[in-house]
Amino acid sequence: MKRLVRLKVNGMNHELHTEPWRTLADALRELGFTGVHVGCDQGNCGSCTVIMDGKAVKSCLMLVPQAEGKEVITIEGLARNGVLHPLQQAFIDRFAVQCGFCTSGMILTAKALLDRNPDPTEEEVKAELEGNLCRCTGYVKIVEAVLAAKGNEQSDGQRVRE
Amino acid sequence: MKTSNVIVQDIPTIERRELRVVGSSVPRVDALEKVTGKALYGSDVNLPGMLYAKVVRSPHPHARVVSIDAGKAEQLAGVWCVITGKDVPDKRYGRVVFDQTILAKGIVRYAGEPVAAVCADSLDVAQEAAGLIKVEYEKLPSVFDVEQAVGSNPPVVVHPDLPKYEIVGAPGLASRLAELKQPNVFLHFKIRHGEIEKGFKDADLVIENRFETKRIQHVPLEPHGVVAQPEADGGLTLWVGRQSTWEFKGQIGMLFGIRPSKIRVIRPYVGGGFGGKVSIAGEAIAALLALRTGRPVKLVFTREEVFHSGGSREEMVVEIRDGIKRDGTLVAREIKALLNAGAYENLVARVTRACGFGSVGIYQVPNFKWDSYGVYSNEPPACALRGFGSTEVVWAIEQQMDIIAERLGIDPVALRKKNFLREGDVNAIGETVHSIGVEECLDKALGFVGQGGREDLGEDWVTALGFAVGNKYAIAPTSSMARVKITEDGVIEVYHSAEEIGQGCDTAMAQIAAEEFGVGVDGVRVISGDTLLCPFVAGGSTSSRITFQLGNAVKLACGKARTELFRRAAMRLHVAPDVLDTRDGDIYARAEPERKIRITQLFSGYRGDRPGAYGQYVEDGEIVGNATYVQECAPEDPETGQIDPVLARAGKRLVAFWAYTAKAVEVAVNTKTGQVKLLRIAAGEDMGRPINPKMCEQQSEGGMMMGLGAALYEEMLIDKGLVLNANLTDYRIPTSTCIPRLANIKSFPVYCPHKDGPYGAKGFSEGAMLATEPAICNAIYNAVGVRAKVLPVTPERLLAAIRNKTR
Repeated sequence: MKRLVRLKVNGMNHELHTEPWRTLADALRELGFTGVHVGCDQGNCGSCTVIMDGKAVKSCLMLVPQAEGKEVITIEGLARNGVLHPLQQAFIDRFAVQCGFCTSGMILTAKALLDRNPDPTEEEVKAELEGNLCRCTGYVKIVEAVLAAKGNEQSDGQRVRE
Repeated sequence: MKTSNVIVQDIPTIERRELRVVGSSVPRVDALEKVTGKALYGSDVNLPGMLYAKVVRSPHPHARVVSIDAGKAEQLAGVWCVITGKDVPDKRYGRVVFDQTILAKGIVRYAGEPVAAVCADSLDVAQEAAGLIKVEYEKLPSVFDVEQAVGSNPPVVVHPDLPKYEIVGAPGLASRLAELKQPNVFLHFKIRHGEIEKGFKDADLVIENRFETKRIQHVPLEPHGVVAQPEADGGLTLWVGRQSTWEFKGQIGMLFGIRPSKIRVIRPYVGGGFGGKVSIAGEAIAALLALRTGRPVKLVFTREEVFHSGGSREEMVVEIRDGIKRDGTLVAREIKALLNAGAYENLVARVTRACGFGSVGIYQVPNFKWDSYGVYSNEPPACALRGFGSTEVVWAIEQQMDIIAERLGIDPVALRKKNFLREGDVNAIGETVHSIGVEECLDKALGFVGQGGREDLGEDWVTALGFAVGNKYAIAPTSSMARVKITEDGVIEVYHSAEEIGQGCDTAMAQIAAEEFGVGVDGVRVISGDTLLCPFVAGGSTSSRITFQLGNAVKLACGKARTELFRRAAMRLHVAPDVLDTRDGDIYARAEPERKIRITQLFSGYRGDRPGAYGQYVEDGEIVGNATYVQECAPEDPETGQIDPVLARAGKRLVAFWAYTAKAVEVAVNTKTGQVKLLRIAAGEDMGRPINPKMCEQQSEGGMMMGLGAALYEEMLIDKGLVLNANLTDYRIPTSTCIPRLANIKSFPVYCPHKDGPYGAKGFSEGAMLATEPAICNAIYNAVGVRAKVLPVTPERLLAAIRNKTR
């Protein structure tokens, strides 16, 4: 009943031997990527957001076989050589973090946006984040952090846009 | 009062002190872990041999459990254990009224109540096994409506044994329950001040209104979860992201007959609490399964389970009757509040009392009568949600104030200011008022929103302004302990048991310690969340209490550690200890700063700045300061809720402090669809003094938007005891597109120091939400002339009301 699924997570190859109904969120968490948070398991809250082949997806709505051959980025894959991604730094600097449960999903959704559209307006950022719920912050500083991060480079030369 | 916990200060002393770290927006100490995904939450804990639990729950709101057939489930490969009511201790637990059992014993009282549980090698097997457990029920009649349940002859008595239940933390309640003529009422809280009937006779105008709030949910992003591990000595270790850790530890020990020192609770980061993670929710089930199997057991709620078994904010019916003079002076106020607690008390007794306090913190009311009733029904249990009932009461009162203003033809701002309590006044529970910044809160909020910027959204939209004020108290009596230890490399360690639920308590405590030792926050390490290492704190992160209570404890503990530090340094520097001070790791004589020694040098034999010498023998032992801050509460008359006037004049009180808020908003109402948009919002927040201004802003903004949700979007649709919208599609919390433009959102801290608070600070996390709902509802009235008597103001309700009005 189990299937072999090959995918890349944060640049590293993985082979998962898993039931086909296992969600990508659960599989990633079992691989140790506990930064992928499960808030509702129904695709409503966005805490489980990862980036798959450049698109922000809700990993609790993906079955592992759907990730066959894909490249997945979780929050753990953002920092390079100990240097934070500009979004991560902006979330710290702009006080966009409280309980932290929505944070991984927010940052990854924002990254997918900035990779696609490096200069979004406030309205565009809000629209993009609509699928990521937050109960602590009221979204204010999260949106501010995303706007602050745009156009910034990681100090090792990596641009925000890959 | 013990001398160890007296902090003697007055406002001038507080103001004279120059602060380096407290009052600054230092980055949060937990932010790095959270943005890198390294922060661990309860469900991230995985242990060798861990089993997974699933709970079987009643589909009926009231039923007798006739039989449970678990045979097939027990036979399933991978199933370790099935438990039902007969396997759980006979003991009852709760917060004030001990009315709950770990699993239902013969009777279920709400749809969702646990009747059985299974643990297995995997969640898949546990789920399958849960589905194989056959439960036979005999349905019983139910009562859902609080006005039916509260009577002296209700259709159903939810807890016939109520007079026999153990009561904790409410002196005198047990005997009053025995005589109570209303069998579903577990608490009737009273306040009597002045002479109410005389007050109404003196009034020129009497206005009476009824308000009702529907049930809402906390919706922490992290569902409830626990990992329980049995220990070889018969004890338990539990990893659980929750509030109120020490109470929880005590309850678990009590339930299983395990001595408290053998229970260890490790609290990882908590993905949001808001009051919903204070009661026991599934942890006792996991603990029992762990004890029976000898294996660690993980139990994580689904989001649906959080809705019906994770607690919620009760429905409240508020009837308010005010007597006012023509010039706007409030002379009499009478309020009756009914709280629909659902099937178990679950902290609602505290809410029933606390919401009364929500009515007395702001206004001068010489004649005041308050009655609140905590009432059982067969709906899912409520608990406390941010505000402990004050939010709902303030919503009613602040709309009433606008109604009064309109009737009298008085400006609503002037009406508020005319009736505000002032420093030194006596409030309606008899306390002497100290540290009340509500007027400045209101001025600041109005100042921002009153400034131009009216948007034109088209002909169907009407815009208007509205405002409201609010108050929240922090509970007394309570006590908090802290330990401060200076390590051999000069780091200041702070040990405490408050729960980091997102509010930033670890950062605030780090700032206080940094301030006391003259270092930066990076010279401090906070160790919290392990009852084996960290000292007791009553209540944990609840009641907006931590900055004030624990902050004082940390300050005191720092003082003790400094005393020991200076004693040792004095010997080495050949001076008296009282001439010394410390800054950036140096201990120096204030009058001769060159006479100094590094903290690290005090650890005899430690030569950390010379390579190869680490680990030398340390002679003088640890440098530790332990302190307890006790917040007393004066006795309160059970018939009148009043503090003795003599004690009040001596500065004693019934609460720790009062925090204040004011919200001003601009809304747009669509007269064709009933939709409401929030265009602008400003808050004035009196939290005494912000320890970290940006963290206060975070709270304020989050509270505003939680209030927005409660005002317009959120309602648990409960039909005959069943939650119909137990998911995050059908229960809507505000999203990023619901909030105003960033430039139209502003939070103003108001400086109003409290003489007993650390550096004058109070607290305000609950106050952050308060007053948002009435500000929005007052604005809606100002826009379209419709008064919200029921919350939330959904488009359907508003549209129907608009149409009714124009007919």
